[in-house]
Amino acid sequence: MREVLELLSYPFVMRALTAGALISVCASVLGVILVLKHYALIGHGLSEIGFASLSISAALGLPVMLVSTPAIIIASFVIMFVSQKYKTSGDIAIAVASSFALALGVIAGRGANVSAYLFGSVLAVSQEDVIFAAVLSVIVLASFVVFYNRLFLITYNEDYARSLGINTLFYQFTISVLTALVVVLGMRIMGTLLISGVIILPALTAKNIASCFRSLVIVSGAVSFIAFTAGLALSFVFNLPAGAVIVMTNTAILIIVKVSVKK
Amino acid sequence: MNRLRLNNAVIKYGEIIAVNGVSLCADAGEMIFITGANGSGKSTLMKGIAGLLPLTSGTLERTQRMSYVPQIEEADRNFPARVSEIVITGTQRPGKFFYTHDDKQQAQNAMNELGIMELAGREINALSGGQMRRVFLARALCGQPELLLLDEPCAGLDADSHKILFRVLRRVLSGGCAVVMVTHDISDVDGMPEAKIITLSDGVILNA
Repeated sequence: MREVLELLSYPFVMRALTAGALISVCASVLGVILVLKHYALIGHGLSEIGFASLSISAALGLPVMLVSTPAIIIASFVIMFVSQKYKTSGDIAIAVASSFALALGVIAGRGANVSAYLFGSVLAVSQEDVIFAAVLSVIVLASFVVFYNRLFLITYNEDYARSLGINTLFYQFTISVLTALVVVLGMRIMGTLLISGVIILPALTAKNIASCFRSLVIVSGAVSFIAFTAGLALSFVFNLPAGAVIVMTNTAILIIVKVSVKK
Repeated sequence: MNRLRLNNAVIKYGEIIAVNGVSLCADAGEMIFITGANGSGKSTLMKGIAGLLPLTSGTLERTQRMSYVPQIEEADRNFPARVSEIVITGTQRPGKFFYTHDDKQQAQNAMNELGIMELAGREINALSGGQMRRVFLARALCGQPELLLLDEPCAGLDADSHKILFRVLRRVLSGGCAVVMVTHDISDVDGMPEAKIITLSDGVILNA
């Protein structure tokens, strides 16, 4: 315990803790919609596309965020569109795109040091990342407060929402962009291969506990926060990669809840 | 007053023509039954009227205050939601983000009318098919529609629920709402002798 408290005095740890906790909560809250709408694979697809864009930007010497952010936003919209339009083949499209993107990333990034992005690094978190994470959190949480009723309706039954004249494409686009931004920011800490776990696992855990959409969002956010802080602390104590331990913690919580809660 | 005017509507799925040159008109207080065999294009036509499927050709004019009750099979029963949460979504409109006191009152009235008030706090995964149909109908009613589209609302309903449904339909019709209802069970028509009946076959109206 003393070791953990001592670590908090290091600025890089505080940056990782602040940015990571904010991103985890955002990821888990968005994850609720992705899980309920059966878009669970999207986070995985986006993170691997993110890795490809990172590798290409590193190889070409371009600013990583400048290339990755628009690339992932465009990819998120394309994936969501394909998933919705072709229903069952959407998962196949994501699998194909993510495999191709990962392979492209490995080839494009062979001369550059991109391995840190595969599994994440707490050392990679800059002061700008903390600011971006804080702004993103405010946008995500404010969107959930203002558009809660709309998100509930669209998540439950998009067709019905459309029949009422509601522009569902706008909300779908907003969710896509916010998910893409979470992936861009989260892959620095958690890693491109692990960020999708942070998006999906807390929502799956919460589904075993929550009885309504509102409590699902709150429980998912809380589970994600606990898993992130516990995972980060354990990674420091046992000197293990943070992203991997955070995902393992999320998985352990999911299994414990699944076994102990009969719903 | 005209609530719905569909003129020469064609709806295609790729190369397959599901609805072929259908025209229909519904005035305030008018009820139309659409019947036909499975695959005759009834549900496709309803989705076209509801704006969920684009018309390949033809024109559609209808009131903006429309409520659509889909088939029960389209409901996600594993969604974490309570009955009252689902019902009140019927009051949502573009540009309106929060529920008012009136919206909550409308939802309560609709649940009372459909006899599901005691289910208000129940999770939807604990409902029977018949109860879920009533929830969907209550959701449609609390939007105070001028045009009500019902896709197979009677399938699997017990006698009491059937009676409640037709009592509600008579009430909304007398209030000036037009109702278009898809059914494959011709005996449903007996409850509304004054209604217009349209029979579809291969996407074409056989009678009008």
